[in-house]
Amino acid sequence: MSECRLVTEQLTSFVDEQLDATRRVEIERHLEGCMACRSAVAGERGGQTVLRQHAQRLRDEPLPPGLRSRCESLVHEHARAAGVPGWRRTLVPTVLSVILLVFTASAIFSLATRRSDAVLAAQLTADHSKCFKLFVAGNPPVMDAHEVEEMLAREYGWKIHVPPSVDGLQLIGVRRCLYADGLIPHVMYRAANGQDLSLFVLNGVTRNPTDLVTFGHRSQIWTKNNTTFVLVGPSDETGRLADATRYMMKEADR
Amino acid sequence: MFGRRQRAAPDTFSNEVLGYLEPLFATAMRLTRNRADAEDLVQDTMVRALRFRDRFEPGTNLRAWLYTILHNTWRNRIRDTAREATDVDSERIEELASRPDGPAELETPERVLIRSTMDVDLKEALDELPDAFRQAVWLRDVEEFSYAEIAKMLDVPIGTVMSRISRGRRQLYEKLSQAKTDAQVRVSR
Repeated sequence: MSECRLVTEQLTSFVDEQLDATRRVEIERHLEGCMACRSAVAGERGGQTVLRQHAQRLRDEPLPPGLRSRCESLVHEHARAAGVPGWRRTLVPTVLSVILLVFTASAIFSLATRRSDAVLAAQLTADHSKCFKLFVAGNPPVMDAHEVEEMLAREYGWKIHVPPSVDGLQLIGVRRCLYADGLIPHVMYRAANGQDLSLFVLNGVTRNPTDLVTFGHRSQIWTKNNTTFVLVGPSDETGRLADATRYMMKEADR
Repeated sequence: MFGRRQRAAPDTFSNEVLGYLEPLFATAMRLTRNRADAEDLVQDTMVRALRFRDRFEPGTNLRAWLYTILHNTWRNRIRDTAREATDVDSERIEELASRPDGPAELETPERVLIRSTMDVDLKEALDELPDAFRQAVWLRDVEEFSYAEIAKMLDVPIGTVMSRISRGRRQLYEKLSQAKTDAQVRVSR
């Protein structure tokens, strides 16, 4: 093996000053007579120095609004769950596993999803339960609908109307969920009584208006201008939640 | 009506995990190059860290453990969305990048370059590096992890880590040098 090859193999250790004195001196001696290796060392040292000198500022990436409070909520929720009786701790993962199983099965049958309202409702109900369980905990911060619309357009090219929070209903999250062969926006709301509502928007999909109950959740499906909207919430909605549902159905397809 | 849930106090582990949110997000930004994806990735990392906290051995490096979760989560995600191609091609990229650097490419004095590099130039140059090189130089030079810790995070041998760091640093320096040269040419015209 040539001396240059040996030097190349130990270049990073040399630049990071992690070699023993003997090997270091050998490499320095080689560098005196080898311009190609000197150039490689200069390049590597240059890259290392520029990164290390800017490291602190590179690490200073401002957190998106709401991320810290959402993570804090996750921590509080986790601490709260750790304090509940054992049988309840095992029940939650079991229920979640069943939900995920349904989700996976319905993803496999993505073709059926396009045709069957029941399968569509089952899949989106699974997404509704999964996302609220995994990503919303405690008292999440309220989000600004306009900012969410801008973020969806900027990051994913989705131009949808996001119904803003109103009295008794708060916009608390947005995620991307898998539907058939692609990803769709999932907008998450919490009603004043603590119950959760999800709005899914499927562009380029048409459906007949349907209202059905799957896994204890009510899915209301309707289409306007070649876009299908699915609102998923508890099946036993009463009082203000029923008001919230009516508001969402009126506002979503504006 | 549902009663408001009682909030439980977080423990030391949770507080320490929350303390790493900013650096985790900065790393997620360089991994994903997209703010929304980075946000999702950090949140998923947090969910997994809390769920698997029993697997963390007290007394070991919590920061390295969190970064390992972050990278594992990202690898799973790109595998799921069939974006692994970039990573699979990294060996080929490394071959291409291993050509000797010509002295002409490094004519700009190192110190001048380092002083004049703006954060925005550096982020752009970093984001243009192949994924495998960008991850390696970031973890080594910005986050200051050891070769062994990086190898565990990226799930590759230590030799591969060192090779990626070396090529990443050199490519980054070349890009910054080239950008400066181009800027000087534009000014002098």
